[in-house]
Amino acid sequence: MRKNAKRLLALALTGAMTLSFAGCGSKDEGEGKKKDDGEFSLTLDQIKLGEDYTDVKADLKFLTHKTDVIDTKFKEYITEFQKLYPNINIEYEGITDYANDITTRLSTGDWGDICMIPTTVDKDDLGTYFVKLGDQEKLGETYVKDWLNNFTYQGSTYGVPSMVNAQGIVYNKRVFEESGVKEVPKTPDDFLAALKKIKDNKKVTAPLYTNFAADWTMNAWDAYISASTGDPDFMNSGLTKGKEPFTDRKDGTGPFAVYNLLYEAVKQGLTEEDPTTTDWEGSKPMINKGEIGCMVLGSWAFVQMRDAGDNGDDIAYMPFPISVNGKQYASVGPDYNYGINVNSSKDQKIAAMCYVKWLVEESGFAGGEGGLSVVQGDALPDALSSFGDVELLVDNPAPEGEENLFNDINNDSELGINVSGAIPKATLEAATQGSQNMEELSKEWNEKWTTAQKNNGVE
Amino acid sequence: MRNFIKWITSAKVNKVLCIITFMFVPLALLTVFTYIPFGKMIGFSFYDMKYIGDREFVGLKNYAEVFSRDDCFKALKLSLYYIAASFVQLGLALYFATLLSFKTKGGGIFKGLMFFPYLVCGIAVGFIFKFFYTRGFVLDTVLQWCGFNLDNLPYWLKDTSINNISVAATSVWRYMGQNMVLFIGAIMSVDAEMYEAAAIDGAGGWQKFRYIIFPSISTIIVLNLILAITGSLSVFEPPYVITGGNFGTGTYFVIMDKLAHASQKVGLASAMAIVLLVIILIATLLQKLFFRYFIGEGEHEAIRAVRKRKKREALAAAGNGGVQS
Repeated sequence: MRKNAKRLLALALTGAMTLSFAGCGSKDEGEGKKKDDGEFSLTLDQIKLGEDYTDVKADLKFLTHKTDVIDTKFKEYITEFQKLYPNINIEYEGITDYANDITTRLSTGDWGDICMIPTTVDKDDLGTYFVKLGDQEKLGETYVKDWLNNFTYQGSTYGVPSMVNAQGIVYNKRVFEESGVKEVPKTPDDFLAALKKIKDNKKVTAPLYTNFAADWTMNAWDAYISASTGDPDFMNSGLTKGKEPFTDRKDGTGPFAVYNLLYEAVKQGLTEEDPTTTDWEGSKPMINKGEIGCMVLGSWAFVQMRDAGDNGDDIAYMPFPISVNGKQYASVGPDYNYGINVNSSKDQKIAAMCYVKWLVEESGFAGGEGGLSVVQGDALPDALSSFGDVELLVDNPAPEGEENLFNDINNDSELGINVSGAIPKATLEAATQGSQNMEELSKEWNEKWTTAQKNNGVE
Repeated sequence: MRNFIKWITSAKVNKVLCIITFMFVPLALLTVFTYIPFGKMIGFSFYDMKYIGDREFVGLKNYAEVFSRDDCFKALKLSLYYIAASFVQLGLALYFATLLSFKTKGGGIFKGLMFFPYLVCGIAVGFIFKFFYTRGFVLDTVLQWCGFNLDNLPYWLKDTSINNISVAATSVWRYMGQNMVLFIGAIMSVDAEMYEAAAIDGAGGWQKFRYIIFPSISTIIVLNLILAITGSLSVFEPPYVITGGNFGTGTYFVIMDKLAHASQKVGLASAMAIVLLVIILIATLLQKLFFRYFIGEGEHEAIRAVRKRKKREALAAAGNGGVQS
């Protein structure tokens, strides 16, 4: 009898606690919604840096993926910024596994004030998580309008790119020249021939280093899809609505050609011996010293490779070796975008706006990281100085009503284009083991993609 | 009022209060971090949902998909590697525990050294072994000292015929020491007089182990075996950190993580988790029944032994009856 009483008591206690916790949760949500309803119509273009809101007091928390520069570069930024806005304190929180963790953090609502918006947020959800930074038309007067496409929904822009990357290949010029490759290869066949020459040179451990073990680096391969077609509409309609987009076009263009290049390079032994034990940090000095021929990474990588040793002058950047009708393209796309928490207080929102505007326009972050700045008229970064007549290609936004289509099909198919790098990883594995050829692989991707298209109402 | 004070300070009530206060914190933690999330996960498994954005109720569709996908249950086959490894691990642990529970020179140091890997966090173990298995690094160098030629050695993590064994070996390294310490503890509780008696009867080392140590610690062996096998079904850290689940090393949990994070199929991943939970429950139950039948549990004798004895007794009784008639 007494035992039962005790049990009941324990149960009642747990029950009470659960309820009280649940209580906390719902109260928070209620407050969050209220804050959201409050009128907040300030936009980035209305702020004059250093003149407006200099007396705003706020503590900001900034979630960032750039864990390497929190204690150096970002500290300097804060000092610089506080010369204009002495009452705004900014605290950076670095997240190592940013792409994965940030989505979970966002779902709690209480994550901080500024973050880098992850690609997992659907466009029609942007307004539930982020403050509107302005109308795309209006912001487009000072910023490059097309580069705001990624996080613009129905004309309202919710994110501004911290920097913009061009997609090409970072390579060691000296290694290429010493191996007898005088001209930068423009087609997949030329590129493979060049890698072969480098391999015969013997001094190089890997003509092409895939950085497979680091995982996220494989993702880079997906970024060449639009450049391989030369079509700015390909990502948002050619791929989403096209029939079997991974099929071999037989003319060395299209997604198939991109992945086929990887497949052939691995199969012909032009990549590192053991992809499972590659070392990302170690690869930087290796390419600097000339032990690696090239790496397929965005233009941001150029600066890191250049600064990783004494031979910075040897590092150069070239467009991806696919030519469409004799012309080469390089996709240009925003890196992470700054976004401001919709649940922050009014002062925090104003302060965050000022800081974001300062970061974008004054900090010089984009140039320092080897990317293009989103501000019109800012100089091209060093990496792209040798691009010559290569056309920079910006993806057009998805047609109205289909803003989520790419994300939906991409998730449903589990191919993870630009997310997980599932396709390039499968390509490398198959090429290493000789288990499947490219035809079988592309057939598999087509099947998955087509099923996902059907599930999402694309006929 | 005074009555109340008297009541509350009385030993009986005090005891209850004490229990409640002590239980409050662990119970609160358990509820908040285990049961509530678990309940939520069961709920998630019935939805087609992402981490953020709308969710849609789909009933049992996620469960149907878990069973119809070919990668989920194929991944469970990898558990066989880890189950095999756990037998090796328990064997080694038992061996070292037996050696070290008798007087051995430097026993304390060996115990410490062998237990140490268990204290290293799983992620760090992963990174250690990534370097350990890299071409031309630790393992290859050591094998070259032993006279192997580098060209004849496999790529430990790339070669699909061996990479699962490489990865499973890391968990042997990590957990063997812990098993060993548990076994030593159990062996310590065996009455020392038994060894003396056995020695007088002329028992050797193996016989002492087989007839004294093994039966006395069979309970703890069974417990460790059950833990090891259920652990093998839900391996995550070693393949996730060392190979990222690539080259055919993706276990059930790694696949689940990929679905949830890369493809944002949270509902499906939750359903996978629950299916695995059921599988583990069934596996544990089967093991328990198995051991109850063959070895016996705690004070209980094995069912098989009891039956045999009864049969023997019955036979003997029948035999006696025959003589008498």
